[in-house]
Amino acid sequence: MEDIKQAEAARIAARAKAEADFKSYGDIIWNQFQKYPLSYYSMYGVVWLFVIAVLAPVLALNVPFYANIPEGVGAANLAGIHFPWFTALFDRNFFESGLDIFFNMLIFTLPLNFVIWLVLKKSKGELKRRDFVTMRTRFVLWSALGQSIVFTLVYLGGFREPYVDWITLSGDSSVSTFFPLLKYSYRDVDLSSVILDPDFTHWLGTDREGRDVFTRILYGTRISLTIGVVAVAIYTTIGVILGGLAGYFGKWVDMVVLRLVEVMICFPTFFLILTLRGFIDDPSIFHIMLIIGLTGWTGIARLVRAEFLRLKRQDFVQAAIALGLTERRIIFRHVMPNALGPVFVSATFGVAGAILIEASLSFLGLGPATAPSWGQILTAGRETGKDVLILAPGLAIFVTVILLNLVGEGARDALDPKLRK
Amino acid sequence: MATYILKRIMLMFPTLFLISVIIFLVLNLAPGKPTSSSVSTEGTQDSKSTEARESYRIFKEQFNFDKPVMFNTRFMLTRADVFEELRVLGDFARPTCTAANTPENCLPADEKPKSGRVISAQDVIEDWGTYVVPHLIDIARTDARIDIRKLAVNRLAVNAKRRLLNEYGKNQTDEQRAYNREVGAENEMVSNWTATDEVTLPEMEALMAEKWTPWFESHKDRWDWDFGDKASMMFFDTRFAKYWGNLARFDFGVSHIDKRPVLDKIMERLPYTLTLNFLAIFFAYLFSIPIGVWSAYRQNSPADRVVTALLLALYSLPSFFVGLLLLNWFADGDPFGYFPTGGFAGQLPAWWGETPASTDEMTTIEYLVSASYHLLLPVFCMTYGGIASLSRYARTGLLDTIRADFIRTARAKGLSETMVIIKHAVRNGMIPVLTLLGTMLPALIGGSVVIEYVFNIPGMGLFMFESIFARDYNAIMGVLLISTVLTLFGLLASDISYAIVDPRISFD
Repeated sequence: MEDIKQAEAARIAARAKAEADFKSYGDIIWNQFQKYPLSYYSMYGVVWLFVIAVLAPVLALNVPFYANIPEGVGAANLAGIHFPWFTALFDRNFFESGLDIFFNMLIFTLPLNFVIWLVLKKSKGELKRRDFVTMRTRFVLWSALGQSIVFTLVYLGGFREPYVDWITLSGDSSVSTFFPLLKYSYRDVDLSSVILDPDFTHWLGTDREGRDVFTRILYGTRISLTIGVVAVAIYTTIGVILGGLAGYFGKWVDMVVLRLVEVMICFPTFFLILTLRGFIDDPSIFHIMLIIGLTGWTGIARLVRAEFLRLKRQDFVQAAIALGLTERRIIFRHVMPNALGPVFVSATFGVAGAILIEASLSFLGLGPATAPSWGQILTAGRETGKDVLILAPGLAIFVTVILLNLVGEGARDALDPKLRK
Repeated sequence: MATYILKRIMLMFPTLFLISVIIFLVLNLAPGKPTSSSVSTEGTQDSKSTEARESYRIFKEQFNFDKPVMFNTRFMLTRADVFEELRVLGDFARPTCTAANTPENCLPADEKPKSGRVISAQDVIEDWGTYVVPHLIDIARTDARIDIRKLAVNRLAVNAKRRLLNEYGKNQTDEQRAYNREVGAENEMVSNWTATDEVTLPEMEALMAEKWTPWFESHKDRWDWDFGDKASMMFFDTRFAKYWGNLARFDFGVSHIDKRPVLDKIMERLPYTLTLNFLAIFFAYLFSIPIGVWSAYRQNSPADRVVTALLLALYSLPSFFVGLLLLNWFADGDPFGYFPTGGFAGQLPAWWGETPASTDEMTTIEYLVSASYHLLLPVFCMTYGGIASLSRYARTGLLDTIRADFIRTARAKGLSETMVIIKHAVRNGMIPVLTLLGTMLPALIGGSVVIEYVFNIPGMGLFMFESIFARDYNAIMGVLLISTVLTLFGLLASDISYAIVDPRISFD
């Protein structure tokens, strides 16, 4: 009896130890990735770029956080204390595009997510590993769903208040206001301050329409990052589906996909992008994303196909087939997760590439016309003939692209078992 | 070897076929037609726009936009189909009833067709062309509504026109010319048999009886189709068939900017782009292989790390940005004016001597000097990215071979280190780099758009860019096709060179 109890206790202890020592594939890769300091810090750089994109209105907006207007100044109904910044974030007078409203929403939801994430991380030691993973998955899914619902509601709501010119209003000495650091909007034309040199009010000067270039670059972070991420998401999806089908099912599916890839490779991608762009009269950034997404999938498809072919022959997949698991389960639980590593690496480089393509398109004057994308700022700067206006957006592109490339390099090395120490 | 090359060339044909299908689909099914949108939105019933309407119709005819995309089923159209479209046009012209005022023949506002529907109705009837002439005659003779009959007659004056042979081609034969003269005369005659707005019923009857009915009766056999005719219409009177017919004759059509053949225009520009690309590829290989070998040889040394980081930085620099800065700093004369600001050739460096007035007056040497003077900056912009990526591949290639047994053997038999690296390691390690040649070409051709735009070099990229702006359908198609053919040959070249260099590849 005693023996059995001891054995049971030993078994439980061994299991607990095994669980404590357990390292998932993700953990191994992550540990490996941290060994490349340049890539590791670049990843934080990318995170910071994202934070800057989200917090752009905190730094620069032509609406005050707080305004106290005495009686008799401005419109009659304006007297009193206001917090106009918070409503302006979702006001169509200040932000027209859904993209901006989405990022503005993130100002509020991102800290919330961050706190929940921290709590989850804290509880990692107390929870069982499996429970922790379930909770994490649930949190990611629910937060994504919740934010999409909130965004859809806000966007479709089309909120619009009567326009108030806060800058002029704050000129009155009896009005007390507290503005963001820069009092500019990225799109309001100001003909009284055209092509100014950089100084303490306009950090990078102004362009031909008198818009503050620093503000535009700040908001351009949103455009460039979104274009990069969404375009790559589109083509990764296409590539994974097509490549997966070809690799797993083989035979005629493989034939068809391979022929298609072969044909697509022959097109100079940029020509194809230009052609597709030629059919759209007034492209929004979403058109550009779609065009880049539709033309860039061949690399991913080949990669995924090769991975599927390789994995299909491996013992664990053969075992899964022998166990009689459904095809869906084999593909999504056994093959796909193992094939996604290289896809992730390729996608990281892809985001950098997509940002460059968008910048080139905008540079040629074929990008989204109104959005303050970096390429567009650069073209506009070129027309003014000032080096600062070329250098600033160009360096912004350069920094983003090199950070992403460094992350990609690190991820590639981390995934390579040959380099693992 | 010859069999291998032949096999590869034979394999190019199905690929080329698929490529042309894709180009066709992209150009035809993309949202928005490559037509000048200003024309298509005009042209409702408005009589002022008759001329614009006609030029739009000719434009559509010229570029086969009046044809259905894949299958032509227009011989199956019935009188009801034609009447429906005419009714839309007729209803649109009728006055609107209001509570206060109900003019004769008025229509309630909610029953009036939408303007988008009217424009499409007009396009649809126009595109149906001669196929619906019998139905139009029928409607014009017997319909109950006078306004519809009037519309039908006016439609007839356009739709009864036949197409000329080889109208936009360069050289017509005498036979074609004679036929065209005859058809032209008939078209001219037919186009005058129209009805005015205030036409009365008897006038209408008279016009039909005197002009249209006799004409139709005498040419009735034109609409007498048997099964063979219908089958050939179904498959051959389509945009796809016309496109293929033209491609088979290497006819990419004429550019609609200056009506010159697209092929000629492309061939004029191709040398510039090819020169640029070959120079870029040449220099990229020239510099990247030594750099790659050097950094692989000193793997993980501080020098290797620095070079790797520098190359990554170079790789991340957008070429248009570098091009612009170089142009601003070294060509504009502010602060330096070392280089010309653009173009392919024309200026000579100051230390060389006097620049002739035009490139025609230059000697060959002078032309070469001038071209290299002009191309230094653009080629640099196209090269540095290639150097960065190629040297990475060269580095990994060498790292893979340097640990191989045959290298150890070479060292063991006492060869000098240089000999080991250059003769044994580099030769084997560079094989994967060589295969990149084929994949580099499309990227470079695509990338040359930006460089040609910045440095104003009249190559294919700039031509593509201009055609996109002008929506020059035929030019876009031509450039896409030619560039893919170039790429195919690039891939072929790299496969062949791979087969030559690597003895493990068999030629069967």
